[in-house]
Amino acid sequence: MTGVIGHAHGPGTLKIEVYVMRIGVFVCKCGTNIAGTVDTAAVAKKARSFPDVAYATEYVYMCSEPGQQEIQEAIKTHNLQGVVVAACSPRMHEPTFRRAVEKAGLNRYMFEQANIREHCSWVSNDKAANTLKAMDTVRMSVEKLRFNEPLFSSQVPINKRVLIIGGGVAGIQAALDCADGGLDVVMVERESTIGGKMAKLDKTFPTIDCSSCILGPKMVDVAQNENITLHACSEIESVSGYVGNFSVQIRKKATYVDWDACTGCGVCTEKCPSKKAYDKFNEGLATTTAINIPFPQAIPKKAVIDPDYCLYLTKGKCRLCEKVCQVNAIRFDMEDEIITEEVGAIITATGYDLFDASVYGEYGGGRYPDVISAMQYERLLSAAGPTGGHVKRPSDGKEPRDIVFISCVGSRDPSVGRPYCSAVCCMYIAKQAIMTRDHLPDSNCYVSYMDIRSPGKNYDEFVRRAQEEYGVQYFRGRVGKIYPRGDKLIVQGADTLMGLQVEIEADLVVLATGIQAAAGAEDLAEKLRISYDQYGFYMESHPKLRPVETNTAGVFLAGVCQGPKDIPASVGQGSAAASKVQLLFARDTIETDPQVASVNDQVCVGCGKCIDVCPFGAIQWKTLRDGSRKAEVLETVCQGCGLCNATCPPKAIQLRHCKDDQILAAVNAVCA
Amino acid sequence: MEDQQATTTQEQKIRIVGFLCNWCSYGGADTAGVCRFKQPTDVRIVRIPCTGRMDPMFVAKALINGADGVLVSGCHPNDCHYSVGNFYARRRMEAFKRFLPFIGIDTRRFRYTWVSASEGQVWQQVITEFTEEIHRLGPNPGLAGTAEAGRIPALAI
Amino acid sequence: MKDTTNAVQEAVKKVFDGLDVVLGWKPGYDSRHMTPAFIRKAGDIDQMVFNPLCVQNLSGYLVNTLDAGDAEKESRIGICVKGCDSRSVVELIQEGLVARERLHIIGIPCRGVVDMKKLERLRPGLESVEQVTVESDEVIVTTAGNPERFPAEKVLAHKCLQCRYPNPVIYDELIGDPVAARCDKDAPPPVVETLDGLSLEERAGFWSSELDRCIRCYACRNACPLCVCQDNCIAETRSPKWVSQRSGLPEKFLFHLIRTVHLAGRCTECGECMRVCPVGIPVTLLMEKMNHIVKDLFDYEAGIDPELKLPFQGYDPSESGI
Repeated sequence: MTGVIGHAHGPGTLKIEVYVMRIGVFVCKCGTNIAGTVDTAAVAKKARSFPDVAYATEYVYMCSEPGQQEIQEAIKTHNLQGVVVAACSPRMHEPTFRRAVEKAGLNRYMFEQANIREHCSWVSNDKAANTLKAMDTVRMSVEKLRFNEPLFSSQVPINKRVLIIGGGVAGIQAALDCADGGLDVVMVERESTIGGKMAKLDKTFPTIDCSSCILGPKMVDVAQNENITLHACSEIESVSGYVGNFSVQIRKKATYVDWDACTGCGVCTEKCPSKKAYDKFNEGLATTTAINIPFPQAIPKKAVIDPDYCLYLTKGKCRLCEKVCQVNAIRFDMEDEIITEEVGAIITATGYDLFDASVYGEYGGGRYPDVISAMQYERLLSAAGPTGGHVKRPSDGKEPRDIVFISCVGSRDPSVGRPYCSAVCCMYIAKQAIMTRDHLPDSNCYVSYMDIRSPGKNYDEFVRRAQEEYGVQYFRGRVGKIYPRGDKLIVQGADTLMGLQVEIEADLVVLATGIQAAAGAEDLAEKLRISYDQYGFYMESHPKLRPVETNTAGVFLAGVCQGPKDIPASVGQGSAAASKVQLLFARDTIETDPQVASVNDQVCVGCGKCIDVCPFGAIQWKTLRDGSRKAEVLETVCQGCGLCNATCPPKAIQLRHCKDDQILAAVNAVCA
Repeated sequence: MEDQQATTTQEQKIRIVGFLCNWCSYGGADTAGVCRFKQPTDVRIVRIPCTGRMDPMFVAKALINGADGVLVSGCHPNDCHYSVGNFYARRRMEAFKRFLPFIGIDTRRFRYTWVSASEGQVWQQVITEFTEEIHRLGPNPGLAGTAEAGRIPALAI
Repeated sequence: MKDTTNAVQEAVKKVFDGLDVVLGWKPGYDSRHMTPAFIRKAGDIDQMVFNPLCVQNLSGYLVNTLDAGDAEKESRIGICVKGCDSRSVVELIQEGLVARERLHIIGIPCRGVVDMKKLERLRPGLESVEQVTVESDEVIVTTAGNPERFPAEKVLAHKCLQCRYPNPVIYDELIGDPVAARCDKDAPPPVVETLDGLSLEERAGFWSSELDRCIRCYACRNACPLCVCQDNCIAETRSPKWVSQRSGLPEKFLFHLIRTVHLAGRCTECGECMRVCPVGIPVTLLMEKMNHIVKDLFDYEAGIDPELKLPFQGYDPSESGI
């Protein structure tokens, strides 16, 4: 497009200069910052001799008002089509000068900035060498500019609805913040009720307030908020589209109960004869009926039939619930239903699962009924739990007297593929020990620990209270083996601070099982086109500066799905993600950055290598009328990294403003 | 275009092309400048958005067209502004670096490093060491080679 | 080889009804050369042959001629492949350029093919060739009724002397029994090793004198089964302008470096590039060196496992020393 034609000579001494593009070069002296070690006049004079440079000058402060005006006037007077400013780093003032040239009528991308300060005048006192370097740098910018093209943003409309995947405390917080901010919210929860893991907890650290007392009202708010549509017992089937315009297919799983009719009265659960259904909410410590409401504060408070235990669905008998239901809500012929929701942003708050301690053969491998997980213990402690809040041994129902809590089960252990710390166990162990001493004042509580991680507000004081006020006995050492002797459990460990072996005859052992990624996390991530680490936790855009964003525009993270954390941090991230969504939706359209990749269909051979490597999923296939397939860039999703450009063999896909020709021009200017 | 020699480059003794990623290394070089860390003047910097943008062919083009040294610098692995660009870059750059001596180009003329935006001192070190190395290696000898290879019997027809 | 020829014909006849075209070889313009055959009529199957003169890698036709990438088109393609050819097919499948379901692959274990240029040099005046048999260290060429024996390393193609995969790695049926490889699977490429033993200057001298002969005819590129860019190749484009058409050594180096870089982790060493070069440049060596580097770095070989991802199309955050 641009290139020198040459210099024509007319008759006699008349010299005619022919330009394909008229470029102006403005060399900034920056006071003495540049002029002190660079001969800026010489640079300007040299620049005037470069091909296509129609005008070159120097000025003391290019970024100042008069400096910018100089540029603007020169553009008009000399009919300039491109501008090079040789000054400070473009990371400093590129936006300033782009605006300046735009005001004078040029497209803002017909501008290049040569860095002759941070990379030149400031790093050497050799004036001759610096001047040479400055001339070369200006030459590189001029050569690049000759391949620049005007670029234009476009406006893409935004659908101001947000999808929140996961109804735990992080998702609930995000939903309420978005809804209270006036946005339409769709929440999808896999279980038949929201509340997540927090709903299973009895009390929370360090305040020992009742979990369902603080979570319950928020759950009710979600149910009652007009702006929130809740799809419980549902999962994400597929996601297509891009930021501002996602189309999401949601699978509403069959509950066999018409939730529009069901009042949650619970008569069906009282009458159901199948009483051996696995009680997921109570961690298998009890059984429940085939038709059930998971817990009294469930939201939505609707009955669900477990098809594996229902006598009708397995054997064709019974149908008692149908008979007693006063509102005719039972639907044995119900099937999964796929619905579509269109949203502009997605917040993923899918939480976690707990490590299965049965891989530790030395702790019984799951065979000993009195070696239980901390979550199971939480249900024993809970007044709404299977034992009504009375701490009883699962084996014989007796009250335990000696209870051992073991930290770091499935955390900080590379041998089971879990080298990381789960962040909450030290605190919840202290809490459970304190609760135990409250419930059973005669009990002896022992905690086997490696370290104590108590970083939050009042956290360390809380752990101290457990020891000093509640008499919980902490010993620093691992437990190597647990085995039964009679109806007791022998716990063998070490106290490394005392240098002693420890053997405790325990009635109950509680394992602090660690946090792991939720089942299905990886599948969901692939649907959303977000990344996850080797443990299945979702990857944030930047570990410090962008903890709730992902590399996929429009998809945000909140809570433990991003990594182990406690409730305050999860709630904080829920609000943070909501604010990111509000930020995205603050305008009616998204302005696209035009410095994105674009495909030349004529050159594209349809090999798909760009689609493979794009970190943001910004390239998709399109089919031309002749049936051939080509790559196509989603401009709103493209972040402008250029990996596709580097990968493409025929170089059909080019990163605008950093095309091959532009880089080659700069390289040739150095080497030629 | 290529016919018009810039007189500047004839006076230049050693030419080093640096490809720096905008978010980390270019910022690191800026930081070095702000702190006034003195450096040799031979390098000419090309700004790219990410080392993922680096095609080994840019390195090839520079070296074959007479550059004496090529430096590519980006964000530390795991810190890439575009999350994974530098992971691709390091595979491609490493393979190409190992290939260069096979066609007779000294592998020390090409280096790739990771310098973050705050590491001004590291940048000063990198550029000083690399420039000194290139000065030691001398100007690019060109492609023709200075020694006869002799016949390779296995390739005889 | 007569047995193999018959076996191939029988195999094709059995499945021909379900296929639109079968790629194989048939006698060429003289008895010293075989040529690719596109069998579209059952009556033509009898033309098909297999012998050590069947040098061409037929997988080169899959993408560019038959557009096997689109699984909705009707073509069901039969293709005969030697060990080396089969790796190209696998690579095309790895890259999604060929749909496996559309291929019926007839795999033929191969002891090596003859480089006719080498044979003609060794045996001037060679005219008719009635039969060629390859044994482990000899090649027996029957000409004018007389069997003549030649040392295998003097007449086999360069790639065959380094062959590690004589038996097809992918096939729907195998013609004959597997044969032993000439080289160990982990053996480094011998000529590359020799070159690596030279000094930097000697290596520069070697490549300069070799590449100086390059005439930018692009035969190597056009014969490569994996060079699917064809006339969009950046060695020829004006925009972006990577290489000028000037006939200088830098330009020639750049063209071959483009091929090396673009085939890194993809080249299956079928050797077609070297075979078709009209001025005899050993271009395969460049790919062999790059493949060796890829093997060292990523423990990966192209065209072996159709499920594997290409090393430069992926990354591993935890890899170190790089």
